[in-house]
Amino acid sequence: MSATDHGNHHVSEVEVPPPISIRKLRVMHLLSRPLGGLLCASLVFPAAEGETTRISDLIDRGWLCRIGGWIFLSNAAQSAGTEPRTALPISDDATLVAAVLRRDRKATAEFLSLHADPVYTYVRNRLIPRTDLVEDVFQDVFLAAWQGLAGFRGASSLRSWLLGIARHKVEDYYRLKLREPLPIETEEGEPLPLAVEPEFDEAVDQERLTEKVRQILSTLPEVYSLALLWRYWENRSASEMAAGTGRTEKAVERILARAREQFRLRWRDE
Amino acid sequence: MSKPMTDDSFFEKLSEATQPADGTLAQAPSRLKARVYSALLSQQTASGPLLSVSATEASGRSLCVFEKAVEVLPVGEGIKALNFCRVCHARVAAEKMENAPIYWPHCPYSEFQNR
Repeated sequence: MSATDHGNHHVSEVEVPPPISIRKLRVMHLLSRPLGGLLCASLVFPAAEGETTRISDLIDRGWLCRIGGWIFLSNAAQSAGTEPRTALPISDDATLVAAVLRRDRKATAEFLSLHADPVYTYVRNRLIPRTDLVEDVFQDVFLAAWQGLAGFRGASSLRSWLLGIARHKVEDYYRLKLREPLPIETEEGEPLPLAVEPEFDEAVDQERLTEKVRQILSTLPEVYSLALLWRYWENRSASEMAAGTGRTEKAVERILARAREQFRLRWRDE
Repeated sequence: MSKPMTDDSFFEKLSEATQPADGTLAQAPSRLKARVYSALLSQQTASGPLLSVSATEASGRSLCVFEKAVEVLPVGEGIKALNFCRVCHARVAAEKMENAPIYWPHCPYSEFQNR
């Protein structure tokens, strides 16, 4: 075989020499990869008992090639037993959950990869303005999911199930914050009636609208933005919020009224 | 078209209009996914051994070059079930840097990158 033959072999044109096992081919492939296919013959061919492979046989069969005194693996040998696969195969929920429960590391990576973005988006949108908490809550969601994964019955999709956990985690934070003492202005009196009614232009595209809402929520005192998110984006009633925080319903209504007032003032000024 | 609204209906409409669609999802940072993946593997190993790399490959999932090196070694399944990522430089890089320069295939830390 001449130097010009290097790399011109195809799997279909050559036959696997019987003494070479797939395992040994894989070793050869791994060892040769960083060296561009260059082999250390004494490492790869220690001639295990019962194996009578000779380098010249392998060269004849097209698995190896000799270039200027060096031995290389041919392309055919490099591709044998290492058929390409997609890195993270897409599994259905039940298969994926079963694999994660078996502690399959690759399935765990797929589980995270598939659902990271929706969970991250949800948590980020619900914790405005506390963006510093997003990563901790995101991590808590997936760790809690692993703890409870054996209980996943497939009644809903895996994504919905994960978002349910995320919702619980976010609401835990809402409860914590709304239990804390409020700013003095919130405790005093009723909010002033707004002179101008808010307007909502449904023709504005979603991206701009979302950005405007995010912007306003991020400038509100935290307790107001969280109260609005909890009430309207999580669809919780004032009585549910009161039950979760230990406050009276009237106190929650007062917080919400202040929060709405502040939001609408900023909405008008934007 | 603009129309005036009051209190609850204004906020209800607003929340409805700003629910993210699938196409508008924010991308989770790759270093965050890397950290969470490491934490998940730590939790999994705390309660039992991982599925060995041989069994993982047999189930149709591809191994990275380092896992493959372990897979072909003549060692027991117990060794092959260890969490090798824990001592891998790719993990360290991926947890610290956004889109760390990891280019070999089938490394989970590489797959988390938002490229």
